[in-house]
Parts: sequence; C-alpha cells; structure tokens
Amino acid sequence: MWNYALKRLIQGLITVWFIATATFLAMHAVPGDPLSGAKAMTPEIQQNLEKKYGLDKPIGQQYLIYMKNLAQGDLGISFTQKNREVNDIIREHFPVSATLGIMAVVFAALGGSLFGALTALYRNKWPDNVIMLAVILGISVPSFVFAAFSQLAIVKLNGLLGVSLLPVAGWGTISHMLLPSLVLGLGTMAYLTRLMRSSMLEILSSDYIRTANAKGLPATRIFARHEMPNAILPVVTVLGPAIAAITTGGFVVELVFAIPGLGRYFVQAVQQLDYTVIMGTTVFFGAFLVLMVIVVDLLYGFIDPRVRVS
Amino acid sequence: MTEPISSVKPPLLDVHDLKVEFDTYGGTVQAVRGVSFAVEAGKTLAIVGESGCGKSVTVQALMGLVPMPPGRLTSGTAELRGRNILGTSKIDGQDFRGSEIGMIFQDPMTSLNPTMTIGRQIAESLEVHRGWSRKKAMARAVELLEMARIPEAAQRAKQYPFEFSGGMLQRAMIAMAIACEPAILIADEPTTALDVTIQAQVLDLLGDLQRDHGTAIILITHDLGVVARMADEVAVMYAGQIVERGSVDDIFYRPAHPYTVGLRAAMPSNNPNAEHRLLPIDGSPPDLFSPPAGCAYAARCPHAMRICNSHEPAPFTVGPGHFGKCWLHHEKVPNGAQTILSAVEGTPAGDLVAAASQSAEEHS
Amino acid sequence: MTQTAPADPAMMDGAFDPLHSELRIQALTRPSLSYWQDAWKRLKANKRAILSLYIIIAMLLFTALGPQVWRVNPAEQDLLQISSPPGADRSAILVAPYVPWAVEEAPTPVTQSDAPDGTQTPAVVTAPAADAGLELVGTATTQMVRLKWNAMPGAADYAVYRNIIPAKGPGTYGLPLGNTDSAEVTRFEDLLDLRAGTTYYSVVPVDQTGAEMPQSINLKVDVVNSITMEEARARRLLKDGETPELGSTVNFALHPMGTDYLGRDMLARLMQGARVSLFIGIVAPLLFVMFGVVYGSMAGFIGGKVDQLMMRFADFVVALPFLLFMILFKIAFGIGPGESGIMPLIVAMVILLWPSTARLVRGQILQVREEAYVNAARLLGARTGYLVMRHMIPNTMGVILVTLTFAIPSAIFTEAFLSFIGMGVAAPTASWGSMSNDGIKTMLTHPHELFFPALMISITVLAFNLLGDGLRDALDAKMRSRE
Repeated sequence: MWNYALKRLIQGLITVWFIATATFLAMHAVPGDPLSGAKAMTPEIQQNLEKKYGLDKPIGQQYLIYMKNLAQGDLGISFTQKNREVNDIIREHFPVSATLGIMAVVFAALGGSLFGALTALYRNKWPDNVIMLAVILGISVPSFVFAAFSQLAIVKLNGLLGVSLLPVAGWGTISHMLLPSLVLGLGTMAYLTRLMRSSMLEILSSDYIRTANAKGLPATRIFARHEMPNAILPVVTVLGPAIAAITTGGFVVELVFAIPGLGRYFVQAVQQLDYTVIMGTTVFFGAFLVLMVIVVDLLYGFIDPRVRVS
Repeated sequence: MTEPISSVKPPLLDVHDLKVEFDTYGGTVQAVRGVSFAVEAGKTLAIVGESGCGKSVTVQALMGLVPMPPGRLTSGTAELRGRNILGTSKIDGQDFRGSEIGMIFQDPMTSLNPTMTIGRQIAESLEVHRGWSRKKAMARAVELLEMARIPEAAQRAKQYPFEFSGGMLQRAMIAMAIACEPAILIADEPTTALDVTIQAQVLDLLGDLQRDHGTAIILITHDLGVVARMADEVAVMYAGQIVERGSVDDIFYRPAHPYTVGLRAAMPSNNPNAEHRLLPIDGSPPDLFSPPAGCAYAARCPHAMRICNSHEPAPFTVGPGHFGKCWLHHEKVPNGAQTILSAVEGTPAGDLVAAASQSAEEHS
Repeated sequence: MTQTAPADPAMMDGAFDPLHSELRIQALTRPSLSYWQDAWKRLKANKRAILSLYIIIAMLLFTALGPQVWRVNPAEQDLLQISSPPGADRSAILVAPYVPWAVEEAPTPVTQSDAPDGTQTPAVVTAPAADAGLELVGTATTQMVRLKWNAMPGAADYAVYRNIIPAKGPGTYGLPLGNTDSAEVTRFEDLLDLRAGTTYYSVVPVDQTGAEMPQSINLKVDVVNSITMEEARARRLLKDGETPELGSTVNFALHPMGTDYLGRDMLARLMQGARVSLFIGIVAPLLFVMFGVVYGSMAGFIGGKVDQLMMRFADFVVALPFLLFMILFKIAFGIGPGESGIMPLIVAMVILLWPSTARLVRGQILQVREEAYVNAARLLGARTGYLVMRHMIPNTMGVILVTLTFAIPSAIFTEAFLSFIGMGVAAPTASWGSMSNDGIKTMLTHPHELFFPALMISITVLAFNLLGDGLRDALDAKMRSRE
C-alpha cells in the first residue's frame, strides 16, 4: 500500500512537470511573446519581470529559471498588478473555490449515490422515471443556464415572498454557499446518478445478492451491507475526474454568482491577459487535480479490499 | 436428529404442483410445469436434468429467489412441516430462509460478497436469525469453517473471498449455509464449477454433514456420477416436469423413462473393462414458449408413438415410490417396460451403481 | 405393471403406432441478421433515440435551410425594438416629426398670495392632488410624453420623475427627469428613451430652499409606440406609394423570438449561432475521434514498447486540466482582428481530447486480437485484410460511433462554456454560447435573451445524448445476449 502510494506520488510529480512544461510552451507560443514585454503595464513591473524570468535570456534558460522558481513553490508575480504575487492571489482566493468545490462534490456524491440506488431499486417505476428525467436534464443543460435561471427564480421568489429567502450573489455565509454549490454539483450529480444506477442494477442481479436473500437477511441489511458498499465502488473511481469537472465548472458559477474565488480570478486574468497569473493558476489547478486523483485512488484502495491487499 | 424415519410420518418438505413462468420479450416461458416431490429428514433427493430443464428454478422458487417480475408463480404449494412457504414475501420468508433451509450455489466465486470478510458473511446469519452478538457469531463462524475443513480457520475468517480458492470458497459457502443448522440444505450444482479433485472433497463434506446432523439435502445436478454417490431418491426433470421419480436403484437399474436411459447412455464410464461408446441424445429440448401438447420428450424419443405427440402421459406407477411419465407403460403397449430398458444393458450405469453401493458400504 | 391410464386417448386408432422420425424434427431456427441490421432494428425500437434522431435532423435543417426561409440579416439592428420579448406589441401610431412644444398661452402666473396658506398640503402624499391637475397633453407615444399640471402653493420649482412602478412617497419616484427651474413653468416634456408600456410620472414641488416638499402628484401613463412617416418608409414598414394618415397604425418588423439588447433579430441570430455551435460541435469531435482512432489502432497493432510509449504520452495529455488548457491554447493561438475564433477552438479541442478515443480503440483492438474467434479465423487461413474487415472493424466501429455521438454534445457544451466566459468565438460572430453570455446580462429584465440560446443548447445536447444512449444499447453485443 505504501509502495503504491509512493509510486503514485512520483507519477503525479512527473505529470505536474508535464503540465508546467506544457503551460510554459503554450504561453511562449503566444504571438509576440508577451513575456518579453510589450504588454507589461508599468516599467516597474517590467523590470521586476525581467529580473524574475530572465526575459532577456534565450527561451531555454527562461524555462530553467521558471522550473527552478516552480520547484521552490514560487509561481511568479502578477503582470498587471503591482507587487502582487500569484501565491498571494491563490492564498486569498483558493479557499473560497475549495469550499464551494467541496460542498458541490459532497452534494453530488451523496445525491448521486442515493438517487442512483433509488432508481435501481424502483426500476421502471415512477421514482425511477422521475429521477432519470431530471438526470437527463441535468446532463443536457449547461451549468451557466442552471446558475442563471436559479438566480432568476430566487430573485422572483424573494420578490414574491417579500423577504430575502436566499442571497443570489456574493460570498460569506452558509446561505451564500447553498445555491452556488447546488448548481455546481448538479451536472456531476446527474452523471453519478446514472453511473450508480447501472452499477446498482448489476449488483442487484448478482449472485451474492441472491446468496444474501437465501440467508434470509432483512432487506435493509442487504441494502446497507451488501448492495451499497459494492455498488458505490464505481462511483468512487470517477470521483477524481468529477472533482476536476466541478473545479473547472466552478469558473462559471463563480462568475454568475459573483463569488470571489480563484476561478473568477482566473477568468479575469484571462480577459486582462495577465499571463503570469494565468500560468501560475493553471499549474496550481493542474497540480491540485493530479493530487485529487491520487487521493481518490488511494481512498478507493482503502475501500475495496481487492485493491487494498494487493 | 438421527432417529430412523418412519414412513408414516409426513415428509419434512412437501412440494405440490409447482408452476413458474417468466415473461420475456419473446413471450411467456413456462419454466416449471407442475412439479411435485417430497423430501424426508436425513435423506438426499437428487434432481437431475440437462441445462434449462427448470431444476434450478424449482428450488429458487421454493426459496423465494425467483425475481418477480419477470418471474411468476402460477400454482403450487410447498409445505415445510405443514406450513406453506411458497410465495411468501421476503419479510415473511426470513424465518425459514437461512434458518430452516440453507442453500449452496453453483458458482462460489461469484456467490460471495467480494467486499465482506468470509467470517462476517457466515456470522451475519447467526446475528440475524439467532440474535447473537457479533463476537459470539464470529467465534461460531470460525468453528463452522473448521467443520468445513478449512485450515487455519481463525485467520481465514478474516479474509475476503478473492483470497480463497474455488474449492475453499465452496466449503465456506457450505459453512455459511449450515450456520443456523437448517433442516434442509439445497445444493444447486455445488460441484459444477469446481475441479474434479475438489468435487469429491466437497461431496464428502456434504455427506458427512448430513450424517452428523441429519440434514435433508436437495441436490441439483446434471451429473449422474454425483447422483449415484449422494442420492437416496432421484427425480429426473425434463422440460419443466418431473418425468421419472424413484430410488437411486430404480433410476439406475429399472429406469422407467426413455430420457433417463438417454441420460445414462450419454455418461462416460469409469470402468476400464467396459467397452462403451458415448451416445448423445439427438435434438434439443422443446421450446418452452409453447410446450408441445403431448410428451415433451417425444421429439427426441427413439420409441415415440403417435399418442406421444398429442397427449401428455400420466405418471404410471411402476414400483413402490417409483413412477415414470411415459406411454410405454400403458397396458396396450406390449413389452413397453422392456423397450425402455433395452438400452440399459452394456451401459456404464450399472458399473456406477456398483461403485456407488460400494462407497455406501464403506461409509456405513 | 399397475397403471392408471386415461381411457380416451388410448382408445384412438393407432395411438401406439411408432412415429416416423422425420415427422418429429422440430425447427428451432430464427432468421439471422447482420450486425448492423440487428443494431438498426434495435435502434428503431428505441422511441427516445428515434425521436432524438428526428430532433437532430430538424436542428440541422434549421441551421442549413433556416436562413433561406427567414431572410433577416442577423447583424441588422432594429433600434425601434430593443430587447423586445417574443409576442410584444408591434403596433405603432404614425406621428409627425418632432417639433418643440410651442406654448400657445402664457402659463397662469402663480403667486404666493393666491394660495390659501398651508391648507392645500395633501395629507396623503401618494394620492394625486385633484386640483393639482397633472394631466397628459396629446397622446403619450415613444416619441414624447407631454405633461402639465396646475401650480402648487409654496413651490418654487418642480422636479419630474418617472418610474416603472407606482411611487410610494419620497424616495420611490424613480428616474429623475429634470426640473422646471421655475414656479411658473408647470409643464414638462419627456423625450428620454421612452418605451411602450405603462409608466408612472411623479411631479414633486420644490420649495425656495431647493428642498423637495413631501407631497407629490402622480400620473399613470400608457405610452404607445410611435414612428414617423420617414422612418417607417426607411424601414420598409409601409408599402410603396402608401401614405396613411397621421395617427393611423402601422406594424413594426416581426421578430418571432424577439430581439436582443442591440435590437438584433433573435431567430436570425440563433440560426447563425447554430452554424457556429454545430460546426464546432460536429467537426471537432470528428477530427479528434479520427485522430484517436488512428493513434489508438496504431498503438494496438504495433504493440510492445512503442505501444507503451504512445499510451504513456496519452496519459499525460489526459492529465492536463481540460478547460484551463483550452483557454491557454486559445490565448496561445491568438485571434487576429476580424477572425471568428472558431479554428483555434477546434484545434485546441483536437489537441486535448484525442486520448480517450485512442485508449478505447487500442483496448478494443487488443481485446479483439486475443479473442478466440479471431484465432479460429486465423487458423482457418483468414488473411489480415479479412480479419480487419470482418472482425476488427465491426467490433470497434460500434464503440467509435458511440464515442462520437457522446463527443458531440460535450463539444457543444465546451464551446458554450468557453463562449460564456468570453473565451470562445469573437464578438461579432454569434454562437449559442456567446448569445447566452450576452443574454445573462439582461436576464432579470429580458429573460428571453438567455432562454432561447440556452434552450437550443439543451435540446441539441439532450438529443445527442439520448441518441448516444440508444446507439450504445443497440450496438453493445453484451446487452444483446441479455434480452
């Protein structure tokens, strides 16, 4: 198990290196090479950048400098904001995104496995039909549409009731987080519901559920001890990609709900062509996602005895 | 438990006129078409037949394991000590399933929960049916594994199914099925998925358990060798019906149905002296979407007569506790019984029976 | 032999005669179908999939033929109808060109002494003071609204406000339109950005210190659309040679799905947007699935070290955070002036999305290569070409087709997502995503501007998803044996 974890970590590091290199190359492929200066805002920033990135040096050396900085955990300084380090930006905005993301993932995973199990148990009956209809909608409607229309609905509802039921924008209290995380988790929840349903259907027709029935166990016990633990395994395996989807999906939700998260900051940086922030955030997000996939894989190993032991 | 059974006593389990249908896209399949049999305490009833003849469905219907829908019970009763257990809902069935009737399945590799330790899976029954504590149930589970001849049972109980070999898993399954000391043990092709060498061990284990606890066994198999070794009574099933029923000697020495004879002719011999060619039964079983009006075996039967295609034969009693559903037993057919038997001579069945009675002697 | 035979059947003639064997052979065969015939049969039986197929065909027709039928320039701005929802009132009255308000008579001078002191102050501020006599002069049209009222005691000046809801006392009057700057002027002309519909005017007297007095006079005004003759002619709203009288009604241009915030026809823009969205949504998946198939089958066929190396590279590409790199590549490829930004999107998608198909195809090829039936065919002397045609292609085509069907909605999604955050197609080009992005800004007042493009995205994605489900069920060999 420990060997496996170590192996995965090393693999992860190589992947992060690949991501960083790809990011570096992509940014240096920008026409006119923004890093060598035409767009930098003030001479002061320009000077800082030159010192930091060796912009007067050839690209190979720039790459080495970039990698060295990165290895020290230094993601650089902002292109458009004076004396603002990318690390500071991440430190300030990432916790917001992470909170939103965690709530959305929890919501999606719980809802997905619960609804999925329900549809399988009531196959072709009305709960199945209703939930699967909602799932199809959840998969087919873009998250920004959900975000916008849920906002509209809450505004109308607030107007109708005359009280502010839920805030529709901003960040701070738990009530601010509720709607955005719900909207953010919705697409993933729909996907997980589908996955859980097919997984559960397979389990329900499996031989060992027949064995459990032959043992005369109560239905609740069979559900809790035999069906759920096995059916949930495929859901756990896709949690890594699901976290990735939710993190990047967060951009739009943060934008629509005016949440001061890293995603919104990233979109702003992209619109202002703040190259260093774009690079730093990409590498950071990339590393975060790689880490999440590893964590989920290890978690899976912990849950599934077949993987844990071998 | 081991007292001799008097024939006057009502049987432990009495199944009468069981019919099961399945709704499929192609139509309704009549999988079991009026099956009746009885099981006595301490005895082994073997249900024999080829794949798809309805033998598994029969016992699964008894246990309430036929998924409904698409399955449907259209008739029948099954009285366990005088109480009908057929068609009971899952909640009602909990007090006999697992506790009164235990069941062993064909494929031990897929019949155990892969994410639960073997010990827990055995102990679970005891916790549910006897209300034992987890600890007590686990201790008993280890004893049961020992009883099922699993070495280092205490360690093994903490392992998961994927860490067991096939034969060990089947023994663990047996330990699980007998955990609550059921009166009846249903073994649905318990050795089909196992290596030949392991088969014998598992069968021995079943035999010993039966002798020690007086458990009645319903053994589902298509292997006449297993029948010869294990069974007291035999029911031969074909196309959802029991076509012949009798003692193991009746079935091997005095078969009363051409299908039984055909089955035997298709079985290899273990007697090196006997010269024997395996004879397959031509054709395939009838379409159970629309079973034939007459005898279901008529299309494959070498002795088929005109009446066989139009009318279903009644069970003709040919001896004490022995009947065969075949028109050849009708008084108008001269030498009907002889016609059936004509193929028996020179088949390996006789040798098998000899071997079986020999091994029975060794045991007693 | 002891028996209990039923009497009747045994009595019939020749009941116990032996049967000829050829009479007894029972046929158990069913007509055989080829893989694709069978798949098509299954797909046809799936109502949802077939309905989705029709929707997709309809959507393609809408995109291809729509602009031929609905010949409205999607870039043309109808400034008379900005952000007008579908089904809005299009009628307008024909008015004369604007002329400044010529006052025929001098306004009645209002002096302090004329008014009885304080007694006239209305107690209820929202109630229009009857004797203040706020009234409309002429018809209220989008060209102008003219108001006049009686002088109010103590007023040195009047402030005029307009609101979309009735005023409920000070602070709720709405938009300040201006002051009359004189106690004598008791009239006001509103020319400011008038819209058809109900408006509420409030006139608030201002005392000598410049402070607004607590009372106000209010009037509800129904403003109607108006248009001058010249404008109507210029917009071809009148037939040639037709000169209706002033005050008669003409109809504005028809916009079945309303207009956007710049007055552009939504239907025409949706058709234009469909071209972009569907083009990206279909071409990009075709390209990357094709690349993935080539890459994957190469890896699968060659095998060994090369296969390992190729697949490890694919693993790295998979690890790249997709949307971030889409954005990164979009920036890196750049959009020149006048470019739509469609090509960079497609290139970025191809670079990032090929590995999943490649993995799938490689796995399939490896699996099929090891199948017993392929070995059997090889033993029987089948050539490689035959193996590829007969076994490899049928067994991988299904998977590829299903992948492609599911790749299309996700590509449409990606385009919409990127356009929505302003990273997709560049401004003048419409796509459903960029239209949604525009629409969300006016969502609270004009939801239709978001609703229609969002609906188009959702329906298309839904149809492709359901078709994909249907195809998967129809082509999955495992499923077939189960039912």
